[in-house]
Amino acid sequence: MGLLLDLAKQYKVLSIVGMAKNAGKTTALNYLIEEAMDDGMILGITSTGRDGETEDLVTGTEKPRVYLDNGTIVSVPSQLFDLADAGLEIVERLPYSTSIGELLLCRVQSAGYVQIAGPVAAQDTKRMCRNMFSHGAEMVVIDGAIDRKSVAAPDTSDAVILATGAVLSRSMNKVVEETAHIVNLYSLPELEEGTARTLLEANITGNVTDTVMLIDKDNNLKKLNLTTGLGASSVINDEITEDTRYVYIPGAFTNSVFSDIQNKKFKHVRFILKDPTRIFVRPIDWNILRKKGFQVSVLKNIEIAAITVNPWAPLGYTFDSDALIQEMKKVIPDIPIVDVRK
Amino acid sequence: MSEMKTATTVADLTKVKPYGDTLNDGKMELAFTLPVPYGEEAEECAKQYVKKLGFEEPNVTYYKELTPGYTFFVVYGSAQATIDYTQIKVPKVEGEVMDRVACGEWIGENIGRDITVVGASIESDAHTVGIDAIIQMKGFHGHFGLERFKNVVPYNMGSQVPCEELIAKAKEVNADAILVSQTVTQKDIHIMNLTKMVELLEAEGLRDKVILTCGGPRISHELAQELGYDAGFGPGKYAEHVMSFIMQEVKNRGWENKANIADR
Repeated sequence: MGLLLDLAKQYKVLSIVGMAKNAGKTTALNYLIEEAMDDGMILGITSTGRDGETEDLVTGTEKPRVYLDNGTIVSVPSQLFDLADAGLEIVERLPYSTSIGELLLCRVQSAGYVQIAGPVAAQDTKRMCRNMFSHGAEMVVIDGAIDRKSVAAPDTSDAVILATGAVLSRSMNKVVEETAHIVNLYSLPELEEGTARTLLEANITGNVTDTVMLIDKDNNLKKLNLTTGLGASSVINDEITEDTRYVYIPGAFTNSVFSDIQNKKFKHVRFILKDPTRIFVRPIDWNILRKKGFQVSVLKNIEIAAITVNPWAPLGYTFDSDALIQEMKKVIPDIPIVDVRK
Repeated sequence: MSEMKTATTVADLTKVKPYGDTLNDGKMELAFTLPVPYGEEAEECAKQYVKKLGFEEPNVTYYKELTPGYTFFVVYGSAQATIDYTQIKVPKVEGEVMDRVACGEWIGENIGRDITVVGASIESDAHTVGIDAIIQMKGFHGHFGLERFKNVVPYNMGSQVPCEELIAKAKEVNADAILVSQTVTQKDIHIMNLTKMVELLEAEGLRDKVILTCGGPRISHELAQELGYDAGFGPGKYAEHVMSFIMQEVKNRGWENKANIADR
């Protein structure tokens, strides 16, 4: 297929994010690893959860193992190091703590199965990617855990592979709908270049001290005494006046950020978020918000490099792979969709 | 050859099976309910079922009607499967475990300030039993809770606390650690709640600024890693286990002089 070569031209750090557990993240990872073997590319592999164990910790279902080729750079915690069947050379001890021991950066010296785990915090994952490149990795792949999406943040990775599949629902329409919702969120419009953007960027430090900020029609910026929007919807509502044009929320965007904001205020205000991974609103609430006239932009959106589908669910039902891909393509026409099990 | 004539008296750890009256007899007790009407057919059904599970000589020692159409059984049988104990590896919380008094003194000597922790049973979970066992003064099973620890400032927010509120509280009091308790695990609801918590922390940019731990009857340290937590505490773990981990982690991260979240 040559999916990997195309991706490597554009992106250095790729994360695999799942719509749900058992959506096929590890299968997608193995697919990329296989392609890298064929192309002789050196990958750096890490995981935000744990990969390569034979059985799932939660559901007890069988999980695909991960076979790594010579030269691959991989992060392995000390307690999993002994379990690896590949020959691993430790190239660096990393300062990041994981719950299962000190994290080791290893180079595979003789190909084999490896159990992988990485740092628990996305910030640390980002720093570790740099170490991987300095040890010769040409591209880094971060495998997500469960349905955690925070590694998709543009801070951490250049692009994502979205793994979706039958496990989401017994109804194919629902699978397509939920996947499309995430795709829509990830491709939200970025705040256009202009005074508002310049103003915000000058005032965002990227630290936890960043506050909720308002910009009015005369481009006056006001910092609220709020380092989070969580639970602060009534305060934010009180601060929004007729002249307010933009509201910047520094962290997560949940129902508790907007629930007390009056409907008429949605009409003339645009919410600005850091990136789409900050949104924690169910599709149904999201659509209601949109109907109320809610407008939102992000500072940076997320590039979806490809979507992988797994037509098989561990609960025992399957969809026809071609039909599923066809339905997906109808709503998501611009992104390559592949069944990695084929 | 003489030792071959008597039964083994030393357990072979590469082939472990249950112990009943004698070593390796494999005897196990099973208790379960079948949706069948009470009677001799029910007894036979239970016997056959246990046999199908791979047990030999199933014996129904007790059975009782729960309600029409349902019968409860206690069955004994001899298990045949064996496990190689020497090959088992379980990830564990690293570091030394100290008792309550030693923890307090250790913090005084090594951290030089109070350690603040915020705990709650989050989202849909209405059970305070777990978080109370760890935080509340009276503790659990003779192990006092964090409220009795010196140099520890704990906040117990109770149950059904939305993730948002727990995070806001942690920010407000500059918590070093967040303790999340999950007791209910039906349909893997604990996984959903715990994931939501860690994802929100990431979105708020706080994940690497607090020590995030979880606990509950179905939580293991291994699962904590999978979920993106720093540590997980299952059954048999008390306040001193949790605090020993947190205080050593505070030191490892060099947060002795960083009581404020913004400085970390």
